[in-house]
Amino acid sequence: MKEKVLIVPCSGIGKSLGSVAREGAYIVTEELYPEQTRLMPLALLVLGDKETQTEVSSVGAIAIDGCARACAAKVVEGRGGRVARPLQVLDLCRRHPDLKPSGISELDEAGHKLAQALAVEVKALLDNLKGEVTHA
Amino acid sequence: MPELPKKKVGLIACSGEEIPEGTITRLAVRRVLESLRPQQSVTIWLPLFLAGGEGDRAFACFHPTIAVDGCEKRCAARGTEMYSGKPAVSIVVSDRAPTDSSELGSARRLSEAGMQVVNSLADQIARHVDELLGLKWDRRSEAALQSAKPQEDFKLSQTTCSCGSGIPVETLQVAGREVTLIGLPLVFAQFRGEGKLPSNSTKTELIETLRIYNPIPHQEEAAYAEAILQKYAAFCRRSN
Repeated sequence: MKEKVLIVPCSGIGKSLGSVAREGAYIVTEELYPEQTRLMPLALLVLGDKETQTEVSSVGAIAIDGCARACAAKVVEGRGGRVARPLQVLDLCRRHPDLKPSGISELDEAGHKLAQALAVEVKALLDNLKGEVTHA
Repeated sequence: MPELPKKKVGLIACSGEEIPEGTITRLAVRRVLESLRPQQSVTIWLPLFLAGGEGDRAFACFHPTIAVDGCEKRCAARGTEMYSGKPAVSIVVSDRAPTDSSELGSARRLSEAGMQVVNSLADQIARHVDELLGLKWDRRSEAALQSAKPQEDFKLSQTTCSCGSGIPVETLQVAGREVTLIGLPLVFAQFRGEGKLPSNSTKTELIETLRIYNPIPHQEEAAYAEAILQKYAAFCRRSN
């Protein structure tokens, strides 16, 4: 990967799902793929200044949403990026029914485990794209 | 009967995930929502202005808002103004934090110094909520006292509901010029539904209610009150 893939997590503060998305994004960008990925704050994309729009439309982006409102994916698309595959914590919860996250400011243990599972899925997604990530 | 929006303040945190100051905005807003002013505040999520419906964009047209940003980019304040309405208050953490950014911890894990900034920022936000709603706060019982004089200068001057929110507005003549008031038909309908007749006491109530959502200059209060009462009297006659 020549350029860092942008990881754009949900920035919601009303549900645990947003916190899981955020924590998962931190695990990917800080622990798993620090050299290949970069975290992009959603608020910056909302403003849509030219520099950010250029970046999101030219560099690969993975949007991690908390819920079905899919704000991160919609905003990435709205700013010229393309989301080929939606990634939502809500779906992840369905795949891990034993993990019911709670806490927003501070995730509980289930939330942290779910964030780990999310990070593994993002990693697999990046691996599958074999360094040719354009958009996911 | 149409339901008037409750008198609440919308809190918008930038939530900037790449810097500790962004985390501070998020945690401070949560603290206000959960502990300090749960009945008086709601959160608005900035991305919903783009990804959500008209109701999200309309919020700041109808409620005072406080934008809390981590850095000088001021994404929350600028985004709110761009898509909804100008925030009544704009706070930037990096302007006020006494601590060097590097001492705040990381965006993922704040240090003790970072958490102290969270607490003081939350207190500051709570004070602004009180000011905007005209609340006095009993610090011993931790309960809101009766509403004091509502603050009139939160800035909604650029919000005319041209946002397409569907929030009804009505134009009336005040001191020889046209003035558009947000939510006037809703307020009238509610007052009428409560059986309030056009009177001096109703006039006072009307102006106090409407100034929550509209800037009403002190020096023109009497003119506004008269114009609103006349309009309300006409509204009541029509609805008889």
